[in-house]
Amino acid sequence: MIPLKEQHDADVAIIGGGIAGLMAAIAAADKGAKVVLLDKANTKRSGAGATGNDHFLCWIPEKHGDISVVYNEFMDSQNATSNDTPLVMRFLETSPKIVNMWNDWGINMKPTGDYHFEGHAYPGRPRIFLKYDGHNQKKVLTEQAKKRGVKILNHAPVLEMFRDNDGVTGVLALDVSGDEPSFIMVRSKAVVAATGYVSRLFTTDPTPSQMFNTNMCPSGTGDSIAQAWRIGTYLVNMEKTYRHAGPRFLARCGKATWIGVYRYPDGRPVGPFITKPNVETGDMTSDVWSSAFTDLKLSGRGPAYMDCSGASKEDLEHMRWAMKCEGLTALLDYMDKEGIDPGKHAVEFGQYEANLVTNGIEIDINGESNVRGLFAAGDMMGNISGDIGAAAVYGWIAGHHAADYQTRALPEAMPENAEERMAFYSAMYERKVGASWQEANFALQQIMTEYADCGPHRVRSDTMLTAGIKYLGDLRRKIETQMYATDAHELMRAAEVVNLLDLGQALMISARERKESRGRHIRSDYTFTNPLLRDKFLRVWKDGDEVKTEWRDRLI
Amino acid sequence: MPPVIDREKCLGCGVCADVCPLQVFSYHRDKDKVPEVKRPYECWHCNACVLDCRAHAIELRLPLTHMLLYVDADTLKPKDLPVR
Repeated sequence: MIPLKEQHDADVAIIGGGIAGLMAAIAAADKGAKVVLLDKANTKRSGAGATGNDHFLCWIPEKHGDISVVYNEFMDSQNATSNDTPLVMRFLETSPKIVNMWNDWGINMKPTGDYHFEGHAYPGRPRIFLKYDGHNQKKVLTEQAKKRGVKILNHAPVLEMFRDNDGVTGVLALDVSGDEPSFIMVRSKAVVAATGYVSRLFTTDPTPSQMFNTNMCPSGTGDSIAQAWRIGTYLVNMEKTYRHAGPRFLARCGKATWIGVYRYPDGRPVGPFITKPNVETGDMTSDVWSSAFTDLKLSGRGPAYMDCSGASKEDLEHMRWAMKCEGLTALLDYMDKEGIDPGKHAVEFGQYEANLVTNGIEIDINGESNVRGLFAAGDMMGNISGDIGAAAVYGWIAGHHAADYQTRALPEAMPENAEERMAFYSAMYERKVGASWQEANFALQQIMTEYADCGPHRVRSDTMLTAGIKYLGDLRRKIETQMYATDAHELMRAAEVVNLLDLGQALMISARERKESRGRHIRSDYTFTNPLLRDKFLRVWKDGDEVKTEWRDRLI
Repeated sequence: MPPVIDREKCLGCGVCADVCPLQVFSYHRDKDKVPEVKRPYECWHCNACVLDCRAHAIELRLPLTHMLLYVDADTLKPKDLPVR
């Protein structure tokens, strides 16, 4: 058995030290809570915001006027089909305060001297994405958390969450700082789940042989969504998988940082929004029609290019600066080395594989789930999108409310299933032969991509999903008895595959239940979009060994 | 082999191994002062190691699978046709 070497007690345990997790830690500590934050890597450089970001969706009253201006644009932006309106309003109302806090802490929210909004915008309409310099954001937030006494455990991925009849009681983590694994147990009165965007569930689209070439950080595997699922937490909107777009073949977010026009090979613009590079709007095509890149390829009329050659010298310099803010220095270094000059060369763009973002834990207006004391924040919230802005703001909101559980008593005994879960992970480490985590992860990806992929040009159906669910169950039994790990690192990756399996199951069951086509969810057996389901969200959860689903109205 | 460490320049501080979000490096100071690039296929090419190396001893090499595809922008002509 892998030894249990560390135990901690906390008012609030936080899973994941990305933007949302660090903001939750800061808010909870500000209210006097004792906070333990666990991160798979090092909070200074972990997660989707590891090396920077440059767009923060927010409401700045003196720039926008009424909040409805931002709300209306937000609801017409990328991936906003899963938003409960009261949560969006709380996010936007709280956003000015958070933006000012970040600026005071040393994340430059006014790099041009004042609040300035650009990119991710339609011509002639209000702009809602604040342009900022986030290159140092993770270091600044880590310092702020430490300053408040937050205990940060780096290289400590969480394996399981525990609960009793009263609510959440703590987490079990793995120490992966050395080759030999050991367990860490954290008893807590509240938990904030903040493990971000989910990659590695579907076959990597640009490079099937390179599993870690993903637009967001490939160690984001939805761990705390799956852990929450295992203790009966409601997940929502799991069927609404998302596909991002960006340069090919290096998969990377940041498309709105490019100042150019998407063009056909004959030079015509792909989208209807702009015909010349526009620094204030960017080309909104990739936000709201990211399938364009796949459409062009499959019709034989592609590929599609990002053409910045019409931009002024100043705009090209501005773009280069913004790419550094966004954390795209590896891309810049590569282009410099290869002699690729965006002023002269057009770079092919493509669409990436399906991922989960805004598919996850259902929260209430305070960020709390149906399990008492369990909160969620960031890209893994199931019912509000909003990227970095929403992660920062809802992280802060969730931490603030999680701290209210300080007065609750700590759970006395070890969770009753803790031994069983430790034995489960120990067995993988003790096994000497079997399936590597890579083999298991690829096997999962091929089932997901074959039976549950989303559009464009890929269909789901009752029979395909039913088969897929059966095959996932077969694979699960094999993985649980055959997957093995030779060191702490491999055991962390193996646990990620276990989590991805759960998310795949929840996704397929939800996709089978949504008997209509909507956006990227294309059903060959229900080809129409049912207006009656427009404002219906599908909730899915585990009740013992049984999986249940339920429709609810979108909150307006 | 994504991160490439210059053995001459490396100070042996281990920061790259500590900050890498993917644990691409394995570092055993007692065996070798230079971290080993143990898991190159798990590199995300985020550049954290390059940015945080105070000796500027690391370069990132993108694998051929990750090459950027581009053309001379002048070949995308004519540019002023009406929107489709």
